Amino acid sequence: MINKKARIAGVPYVIWMVVFIVAPLCMVAWYAFTDKSGQFTIDNISSIGQYAPVFARSIWLALIATVICLLLAFPLSYLISRMSGARQSLMIMLIMLPMWMNFLLRTYAWMTLLENNGLINRFLGLFGLGPFQMINTQGAVVLGMVYNYLPFMILPLYSIMTKIDDSIINAAKDLGANMWQVTWRVIIPLAMPGITTGITMVFVPSISTFIISRMLGGGGNILIGDLIEMQFLGNTYNPHLGSAMALVLMVIVLLCMSIANQFDDEEMEGMLL
Amino acid sequence: MEDNVIVRLDNCSIAFDGETVLNNLSLDIHDEEFVTLLGPSGCGKTTTLRFIGGFLTPDSGRVLFDGKDVTHVPPYKREVNTVFQRYALFPHLNVFENIAFGLRLKKVPENEIKELVGEMIELVNLRGFESRKIGAMSGGQQQRVAIARALVNKPRILLLDEPLGALDLKLRKDMQVELKRIQQQLDITFVYVTHDQEEALTMSDTVVVMNDGIIQQIGTPEDIYNEPRNAFVADFIGESNIIEGIMHEDYLVQFAGEKFKCVDKGFEKDEFVDVVVRPEDIQIVTPNKGDLWGVVKSVVFKGVHFEMLIEQAGYTWKVHSTQSAEPGAQVGLKIGPDEIHIMKRSEA
Repeated sequence: MINKKARIAGVPYVIWMVVFIVAPLCMVAWYAFTDKSGQFTIDNISSIGQYAPVFARSIWLALIATVICLLLAFPLSYLISRMSGARQSLMIMLIMLPMWMNFLLRTYAWMTLLENNGLINRFLGLFGLGPFQMINTQGAVVLGMVYNYLPFMILPLYSIMTKIDDSIINAAKDLGANMWQVTWRVIIPLAMPGITTGITMVFVPSISTFIISRMLGGGGNILIGDLIEMQFLGNTYNPHLGSAMALVLMVIVLLCMSIANQFDDEEMEGMLL
Repeated sequence: MEDNVIVRLDNCSIAFDGETVLNNLSLDIHDEEFVTLLGPSGCGKTTTLRFIGGFLTPDSGRVLFDGKDVTHVPPYKREVNTVFQRYALFPHLNVFENIAFGLRLKKVPENEIKELVGEMIELVNLRGFESRKIGAMSGGQQQRVAIARALVNKPRILLLDEPLGALDLKLRKDMQVELKRIQQQLDITFVYVTHDQEEALTMSDTVVVMNDGIIQQIGTPEDIYNEPRNAFVADFIGESNIIEGIMHEDYLVQFAGEKFKCVDKGFEKDEFVDVVVRPEDIQIVTPNKGDLWGVVKSVVFKGVHFEMLIEQAGYTWKVHSTQSAEPGAQVGLKIGPDEIHIMKRSEA
């Protein structure tokens, strides 16, 4: 039983939720299913089909960025979780450090690095290499996503891995597991909740980003985020279509997340056969 | 005994952060033996166990297994399994899968896994718990799972790192008996680490008493208890009265201001020695019949016996007896020649 006082403590958040989450969501839905004269229509939704390539590209690039983040973060998080307390804090601080700087500034920095006459190409030029086309490519967009969102993968992985006791890993080794088997049979299953959290926290901002694709992807690699932004702030002003896109994007994200969670559950059930 | 040595530690030393933990330790462990490494925390007993398990490599010295050098062989390649201090069971697996873990790694066929795990579950009395989650098991049950998980791999040696430390007294006593039964039933070598001297004496064939990274004494429980080699061992194994004395000649020692007959010999004439007398080996008699006279300071009922502190000429004797005396009463203390243990004076 939750007593009255405890309920009162929840009131501020309920108000917040209604005003800033539920109401805007309803407005988005209302816009998505109406035309300029306020009449109900499904044209907005059905016209999204023509943007399928943009949606596909967004999902694909976000997926690649998420996988790269996972592959980079998993071993790193494990190593950090095995360090002494003081070194753990230091490493986590170093990982957080870039996040203290403005997001736009960080992405601009990558622009100057990747440009055709940017730092990297000029450096390679010293050895007679290049110049390579790096800016305005899909690779640059993925790089931007990985760079910006990697900490969101590391932190949940690290925090769950610190809970895995050394003795459990020693027990697996003692029973004949090499490091590879320890990883597959013990560390990954135990870290599963952190893995799904990390995937969510990288995939969702990646699939909806528009700054990264605009600054590093040039005009040829626009993503859903760019499309939506154009409907609200660009000269194609059409909030009804924009809302419909936002709604579809939300459904896609929910779908991807439920797939990830499904995998998580099945994994756990498989372990408990 | 020489030819059935299964593990030999040869002059092993290790230091952590510049502090020596083990100093030139050499130890032979024989096949099918129940060996206990006994000592206070920080004495190096767990470190010794980790050498055998392969979790730690000595800075110098060698670890031999069946005469082969395995100093640098990783744990998963050794015929050794471990029962860890806080069980270290896999929380994501159920009882059956925890026990089957080692077999699955070895790609044992499924029907064989079923059979072997079933045998182990029988051995540790956990039938009916196969699909239980680890989190839903009591400490004692988890302990049994940990033992079964290690034993199912048919190790030559089972290492046990204070496995009963987290259990309550009653359960600990039951598990002691059970462990001994399992060891005898399977005929494999157990190396057991504990700081509990009673546990060591109950189960072991051989007790290795350690302190400050050095082996103090190796022997059967009876030897260790009855013939402690130095004051540390005497003090650590059971309760003792340790008093300074002078060995006048063979079979004659003086302490507490009186001369006593004893059964020890081979000391220098008038050598200063430590004398050990167990509290239960002192008889309380009427003052005129005693070898020593004292005043009872306190009496505490301990269940099986009374523990009395008796002051005599500046020394306080601890005496265990089934008969109690009144505090303040004058009593005599009688100590037979067999009950007096003479030790070389320790350097410390």
